[in-house]
Amino acid sequence: MASTVIGAGITIEGEVTSDEDVIVSGTLRGKLVAKDAVTVEHGGVVEADINAGPVAIAGSVTGNISSNDRVDLQNGAKVVGNVKATRITIADGAQFKGNVDMDV
Amino acid sequence: MADRDQTLIGSGTFVRGRVTGTGDLEIAGRIEGDVSCSGDVLVDGSGLVGAGISARRIVVRGAVKGDLVAEDAIILEAGARVVGDLKAPRIAIAPGALVRGHVQTGGAGAARSRSAAATASRASSASAAKAAPAAAAPARTEAKKAAPPAARSAPAGNGGKSSTHRSSAGASGASRVGPPPPVVPVLKKGTKAALHHKKR
Repeated sequence: MASTVIGAGITIEGEVTSDEDVIVSGTLRGKLVAKDAVTVEHGGVVEADINAGPVAIAGSVTGNISSNDRVDLQNGAKVVGNVKATRITIADGAQFKGNVDMDV
Repeated sequence: MADRDQTLIGSGTFVRGRVTGTGDLEIAGRIEGDVSCSGDVLVDGSGLVGAGISARRIVVRGAVKGDLVAEDAIILEAGARVVGDLKAPRIAIAPGALVRGHVQTGGAGAARSRSAAATASRASSASAAKAAPAAAAPARTEAKKAAPPAARSAPAGNGGKSSTHRSSAGASGASRVGPPPPVVPVLKKGTKAALHHKKR
């Protein structure tokens, strides 16, 4: 109920703004703004800047990630872009290219 | 959590842009942009779609402002508010649903060609060509020829008809084009075409 799910077969081209959780298993191009948690699941592709609460990534993200909470790059994640958050974890097996800014 | 092929746009979510793909789509939030998907689309009571939807099957309980084109069926349940044209082999409108627009049942081919034409102009020309075997493109150009810009305000009836009855569209087109082009001295092959293009 309280979340938005972009399924594996779906592509959204444009801007997604949400007051609730967003789970991306499909493809999103454009911009993603969420007040709550964002999860990019394994197989999910985000080519967008992400601005959200806690962010967990197991899929592929190209774009800058900005969080007012924490960013977790999980095993299998592939991230190209800058990450700005108060707390960041990069799991073993995550690919990451970009700057980290923890100064919030 | 819902399974991975099921997409849900939650009630607190606003999407500005196109939504395409396979699988089912449930919309409880707001979408400003075309929705086209090969599965079922459900617009919930709190859902609001500000553009056309094309899918296999469309169920509406919320508000849609745009054309609905389904390959299988369109079902408007109580509480649905739709401003736009409906086109599908089967259409159900329940008591309590509001509709303003042209409704056309049957003629899957017509529905198909129109949706294909719509999508073709935007993006996936490859799949559109498959969906509407060659008919859509010539029919569309004919319609364009027949209908001067003034007639474009009502593309629904015109476009649909011309794609189903191509010959009649051609006939009516001939009567509507106006006087034939003036007879001109012998011109080289390319020049006439260039002139024609310039005129339009």
